[in-house]
Amino acid sequence: MEIELQAVRDFLAEHPPFDHLDEGLLDELPAHTSIRYLRRGTSIPPDDADGCYLYVIRKGAVDVYDGEQLIEKLGEGGCIDCSLQTNRETAHARTAEDTLLYLLPCAEIERLRMQSPGFSAYFTDDSGKRLRKALTAITATSPVQSSDLDTTEIAQIGNLNPVTATVDTQAHKAAQVMRDANVSALLILDDAQLVGIVTDKDLRNRLLAEGHALDTPIREIMTPAPLTMPPATSGLAALEWMTRKHIQHLPICDNGVLKGMVSISDLLRYQTTHSHFLTSEAARATNVVDLQAISARLPELQVQMVMSGATAAHVGRAVSSVTDALTIRLIELAEQQLGPAPVPYVWVAGGSQARREQSSHSDQDNALIIDDTMHDEDAAWFEQLARFVSDGLAACGFIYCPGDAMATNPKWRQTLKVWRRYFRDWIEKPEPMALMLSSIFFDLRRVHGDKALFDALRSEVNQLTSQNKIFLAYMAANALKHRPPLGFFRTFVLISDGEHDKTFDIKHRGIVPIIDLARVYALSAGIAEVNTLARLEAAAKTLAVSPDGAADLRDALEFIATLRIRHQAQQIRNGEAADNYLHPNSLSALERSHLKAAFSLISTMQEALGQRYQSGRFL
Amino acid sequence: MGLLDRFRSLDSRRRTLLERAPAGPLKAYYSVPFVSPKDDFRSIEYTALDFETTGLSPLKHELLSFGLINMSGTRIDLGSAQHQILRPKGDIPEASATVHEIRHQDTVGGIDEYEALLRLLSHLAGRVMVVHYHKIELGFLNAACQRHFGIDFLIPTIDTLQLAHRWIEGRNLYLRPSDLRLFNLARRFNLPIGAAHNALSDAVLTLELFLALTAQRLKEAHVPIHSLTWN
Repeated sequence: MEIELQAVRDFLAEHPPFDHLDEGLLDELPAHTSIRYLRRGTSIPPDDADGCYLYVIRKGAVDVYDGEQLIEKLGEGGCIDCSLQTNRETAHARTAEDTLLYLLPCAEIERLRMQSPGFSAYFTDDSGKRLRKALTAITATSPVQSSDLDTTEIAQIGNLNPVTATVDTQAHKAAQVMRDANVSALLILDDAQLVGIVTDKDLRNRLLAEGHALDTPIREIMTPAPLTMPPATSGLAALEWMTRKHIQHLPICDNGVLKGMVSISDLLRYQTTHSHFLTSEAARATNVVDLQAISARLPELQVQMVMSGATAAHVGRAVSSVTDALTIRLIELAEQQLGPAPVPYVWVAGGSQARREQSSHSDQDNALIIDDTMHDEDAAWFEQLARFVSDGLAACGFIYCPGDAMATNPKWRQTLKVWRRYFRDWIEKPEPMALMLSSIFFDLRRVHGDKALFDALRSEVNQLTSQNKIFLAYMAANALKHRPPLGFFRTFVLISDGEHDKTFDIKHRGIVPIIDLARVYALSAGIAEVNTLARLEAAAKTLAVSPDGAADLRDALEFIATLRIRHQAQQIRNGEAADNYLHPNSLSALERSHLKAAFSLISTMQEALGQRYQSGRFL
Repeated sequence: MGLLDRFRSLDSRRRTLLERAPAGPLKAYYSVPFVSPKDDFRSIEYTALDFETTGLSPLKHELLSFGLINMSGTRIDLGSAQHQILRPKGDIPEASATVHEIRHQDTVGGIDEYEALLRLLSHLAGRVMVVHYHKIELGFLNAACQRHFGIDFLIPTIDTLQLAHRWIEGRNLYLRPSDLRLFNLARRFNLPIGAAHNALSDAVLTLELFLALTAQRLKEAHVPIHSLTWN
């Protein structure tokens, strides 16, 4: 067989269902195969199909939908069955990116099915099972899921590492275990099987009230054979059922195997961790301690949103809105203490909060712009305000900005006149310091205070930046500093600094480059938006970037940033500190190939930007 | 090619060559009309062709192998794939052997240039040829036709190197000459890379690249083939 045909044969042989075919049948495949290249967003089969085919993805990706709902994401080697539509009337498939496909005629597939039962099984009894599997696989990836109790499984809400003890444990030892783990229910195992449950109430009613000895074996006071539910039970069903049965704790079992436990309070808390709940709580808080308690639930919010299929953009908006609410309430509390502001002012956020791209508890970046009518004696009021809010945010877990870009720094607590001068200097005399600050101060958003003050500064800055080519060239050069790890999956350009061995920094190598590109586009086109997706959308309508390039970058950002928040959610769930260091092995083959494509896209766009501003001259 | 030829349609030049060609395979080739330049590129029968040679000069060097594969509209037909080794008259210079990895002993069962030309002419009649860098395939075919029939070779040709050049320039991207090499383009477009410098693998890759380069134009209702051809 010719080398190219051999390569096609070998590729098919590696992927189901072709892996069921014997050598002889595999050898016949290439002669019947044809190749097509479909652009992103093309239906499969395409409108211009000249016959019935089984489509096998050689390179690229395909989304399978049932109606509007994404049910499966197929990568290299994935098959799109020609009988897709006959199995489910509403099912359809569409290329998720430019995709190269191998086509095998349906008549040939029928012939192979007659000759190989293993091959044939893939198309018959498995189709329902495959669809269901796909559905559960994407509940964690679908961006359209709400985080309602009725669409969330108890396995995602409950504790998957419940505290357990064996049946012959003495009652007081069991109570110690519960005290140490700070739980109100203990699951009792016999030979690894769940046989009972003991709660605080059981210890009181069946042990103490009855006057039994403290060393009574726990099996004598436990509730034997507790009711359990499978992991896929919806949160709402579990809540209704537990309310009706008057139970507080529900073990989660899968075919008799203990998987976890969910409590009434888990379910209630789940409902109340939505961001709008946290923001309205923040608005009612009367002191920093209350705000601290609300803020402490941000990591939980992030985890829940991710578990219910939110993208990074959703999480960023939610976390930033809570951070805004905390900031505003702190300012209001400060004003209650300090009295009304002597002159108008505006509190602005910079960096990720301004862009609404925060993950839980990032650094705080903020500044104060004060009306030019301020007198010298007013300065103390603003200093106290800055101190109060900044300390309050720090108490809430937003650590002080390492670069001191905060309103507590007198440099960043100035009148509009001074801010105007700052920006004019940065833009007209670009220097390393200004560029360092650019990711903070060229992404500013009003959080609280006088809108007119902020708008005055912003419109002036937008006008200045879009007209100054030299400044833009410096910004462009700066945007090329963080390069995606292009050869990453081949050559393993990874960080090895001990703690993060063999990982890569997904924020600085994947997300920051896109944020930086979008900032340059926005500044060059005088776009007021600071959110990266919004900047890209707005820039696509200008000459700053091609519409296709902007759309590609948006997709790349959503994908990379969502990988990051999922990684962080996993760490938070495991009780670890969230970071940006991903291990390539933690990604699926499909995710890796998407990531690779996203990196090369960023690199292409960086190259185009560098070309445009001839940034080599400034590096 | 005469001075005025560039102003004449390919098909009228074909008719001239048909009159001049001696009876035989080249006349048979020219008796099949070329596609109309206005035909939509999705309705065309293509053949991608790739040569491995002993060097870059059609007058001095020899053909060592060809690979070809057909595409109907936008569907590449792997069943049509052909790969053929030729037996050169002279040596295989080391400089070329390190690229295509065809050793003299591999060419023992190979056919000669005339036989290869007959097969290619009968295959290419009426079709549009797709190559990456037309100077090699067109140059060697032309030289062979001159040697055996004393007449020029002509075929509507798509050069994916030229299309890729346009694609990159159209996006204002920085272009290094090496960016236009088939393998670097394959990487840019996320195409699978098989055996390098095998004539058939390169022919398949050339078609895949052609599809990738034209995918964006599928949105357009009508794309005349002359907007994509090199000649």
